[in-house]
Amino acid sequence: MSALLEVEGLTKRFSGVTAVKDVSFTLEAGEITGVLGPNGAGKTTLFNLLTGFLPSDAGAARFEGKSILGAAPHAIVNRGVARTFQLCRPFYGMTVRENVVVGCLAPRVHAGGGLEQRVAEILEEVGLAHKAAQPVEILPYGDLRRLEIARALATRPQLLLLDEPFAGLGAGEIEPLVQLIRQLHDSQGLTILIIEHKLREFMQLVSRVIAMDFGEVIAIGAPGDIVRHPRVIESYIGKGANAIA
Amino acid sequence: MGKRNMAGAAVLLALLAGLPPLLHNHYLTGVFIVCAIDGIWAASWDFFSGLTGRENFGHALFIGGGAYAAAFLNGNFGLNPWFSIPAGIAVAVVLGLLVGFPTLRLKGPYFALATLASAAIMQQVAINLWQYTGGSEGIYGLDTLIESSLGFYYLVLGIMVATVVVLSLIAKSRWGTIMRAIKGDETACQAAGINVTFYKIASLALSAAFAGLGGVLFAHYQQAVTPDDFDVFLSISVIIMAYVGGIGTIWGAACGGILLNLMLELMRGLGEYRLWVYYVILMVVLFFMREGFVAPLWRRLRGGDA
Amino acid sequence: MLTVLIYGAVTSAVLAMLAVGFTLIFGVARILNLAHGAFYALGAYCAYSFTALLKLPLIVSAALSVALVAVFGMAMERVLVRPLRQSSLAVLMITLTVALTLEQVLFIAFGSQSKNVPAFVNFPINVHGVSVDGQRLLALAIAVVLIGALWLFIQRTRLGSAILAVSQDPEAAQYMGIPANRIFTIVMGLSAALAGAAGVIAGPFLSVRPTMDQTAMITAFSVVIVGGLGSIPGSILAACIIGYSQTFVAFYLNPEWTGTVSLVAILLTLVLRPSGLMGRVVNA
Repeated sequence: MSALLEVEGLTKRFSGVTAVKDVSFTLEAGEITGVLGPNGAGKTTLFNLLTGFLPSDAGAARFEGKSILGAAPHAIVNRGVARTFQLCRPFYGMTVRENVVVGCLAPRVHAGGGLEQRVAEILEEVGLAHKAAQPVEILPYGDLRRLEIARALATRPQLLLLDEPFAGLGAGEIEPLVQLIRQLHDSQGLTILIIEHKLREFMQLVSRVIAMDFGEVIAIGAPGDIVRHPRVIESYIGKGANAIA
Repeated sequence: MGKRNMAGAAVLLALLAGLPPLLHNHYLTGVFIVCAIDGIWAASWDFFSGLTGRENFGHALFIGGGAYAAAFLNGNFGLNPWFSIPAGIAVAVVLGLLVGFPTLRLKGPYFALATLASAAIMQQVAINLWQYTGGSEGIYGLDTLIESSLGFYYLVLGIMVATVVVLSLIAKSRWGTIMRAIKGDETACQAAGINVTFYKIASLALSAAFAGLGGVLFAHYQQAVTPDDFDVFLSISVIIMAYVGGIGTIWGAACGGILLNLMLELMRGLGEYRLWVYYVILMVVLFFMREGFVAPLWRRLRGGDA
Repeated sequence: MLTVLIYGAVTSAVLAMLAVGFTLIFGVARILNLAHGAFYALGAYCAYSFTALLKLPLIVSAALSVALVAVFGMAMERVLVRPLRQSSLAVLMITLTVALTLEQVLFIAFGSQSKNVPAFVNFPINVHGVSVDGQRLLALAIAVVLIGALWLFIQRTRLGSAILAVSQDPEAAQYMGIPANRIFTIVMGLSAALAGAAGVIAGPFLSVRPTMDQTAMITAFSVVIVGGLGSIPGSILAACIIGYSQTFVAFYLNPEWTGTVSLVAILLTLVLRPSGLMGRVVNA
């Protein structure tokens, strides 16, 4: 069975800086994979390339065997790849419910008459059903995160890209979100790719880690191995750390 | 639509329908006709710009487009004036698509300036290509659609009501939700699988269609068209009407159009000070009433959430 | 040929004065000041009033006019614009109503006919065989001096640095102790002063009537768009491009089409390269 997502030699340059350099990896359906790396490693740029928000300079990326490079963002979503953003981007001026409705209006979903029900189900699943009528302006950040995920879920994705879902969350909000992500994976068989810094939560969720630094993939492996990998440690702490450690 | 809203609309419509025959004054009926046409223009502007938050500063392009289409068909070729309506709408839609494609990807102030420039260029073209367009004088001698001015008024009033109803229905539909999401965050909208470009262009085209329709009605009312139908001042007046009425409400914008034109008319007694007072009033409204005047006022009168 | 070169330079200089002020207030405060053309008109009418009506000496009139326009601009910013800053549409609309109101006031006070603003330099000057109206050359010189002075001011003084800081990030500047609000008012004053000065200096040879703000506005827009909103060097470059284009069109084609030049420039720029020659990226 061919992989759900195949990335080969993906490269992106920004006048002089190579943000993503020759990145290659594959994702099998049903996995939760993590992308690890310090700030500036190129993680979000990678997401932007895979979701059509940035054009690539070289390389290939295939979802379900067909290339997704060069397609418009909304087209990629309608192929089954959804994403969330590092900084939550709700639709201001609308309620929680309406935010999710928009996701259900993607052509892929064919919501038709079942729209209301579908929205209710999604809100139930992310735990925002009781806040459906609230305007997003008054939502606490943890709920905005859930809303981001709900909206992405509304598009019926097969692959979900989460960009630092735990960023900005307080201690009490992180664990429930971990549970939610795991539950979504288990119940829907979603393939998930997560970018994150926060190692502890990350490690609980992912079965495989792609480590990046300076735009390159420096290691791919099981979480336990990656955390002990010398180059990965170096990317976070700096050279010579290994000599001391 | 809530009961109180329906009652309010009924009263308003009764007033609008009943006053002109009561006043029995040809000139005043004409004023009401222009009020209703202003209402169509303002409502059509509000549909696009009020919902998506992208301010179109060149609405007169669509108005003038419709008006000149009517002038060519009826004035130059002598066709039955009723043909102007589909023709004017078609021309306006084409203009909407032409302008929309290159400009809708621009951010706020740039989109505003691009639309403003488009209308201004069209105005220059209308003036400079005088062999075809009659130059600064324009084209005269158009037929009217309905002989009796009261009859014409009811036609225009009916079309205005239809405009508000149709556009409001669309605004409340899924299309409208998407437009409001575009206003909220375009990038997030794309990430939700929505083809933002399509919806922006389609919405602009729809807005243009109704504006062009208003332009046709105006042309056949004035029985003439001039390059002023493309004027920046017209575009801006439309925005002011929508603003005073309540941006995003569509019915409010239509009321704003009616109200402002009435106000301008009532101030005729002020002679040369008329426009000055008008603008000062506008400044006051803009400054103190951020949400506009008509829609918030109605919300207050109606009381609570009915 | 030399005539065109010189006249083109004069047109470009006046355009540059108008555009730089407009782009400055946008670059710093993100305000599209639709009253900018009105400042220009106000400058010209003040110069007219002070010299022709009050019979004040030319230099005094000029200085007073510019000062008056600057104060007017600052007052408008402080009283009308500052409270509405969160909504860019509201700011656009209020500056617009100010422009419209001012136009009406000028119309009421002075009537619709053109006024003659006395020139500083009444005699023609001979440049390499071409006789050029002295006032035009003076306008060119003053424009260069004023814009140069503004540039130096921004680059070399503390206040100038504060202005640059605020234009990059008003919030961050405030954390550094820079009073962003006050800077906005000051910059508006500078912007208005430039526009007013343009009116004073060009009034003698350009038409002075209540609607002069409109053509000035459209042309200023075109220069600023082509140059890139927020970029002073861009505005200067674009002013030359558009100024010369207009002069060529007027001399070799048809004077009626000069207005179209600016409009076409705007549309071409927005369609091909919206950020203009030197502006920042502006796609939605």
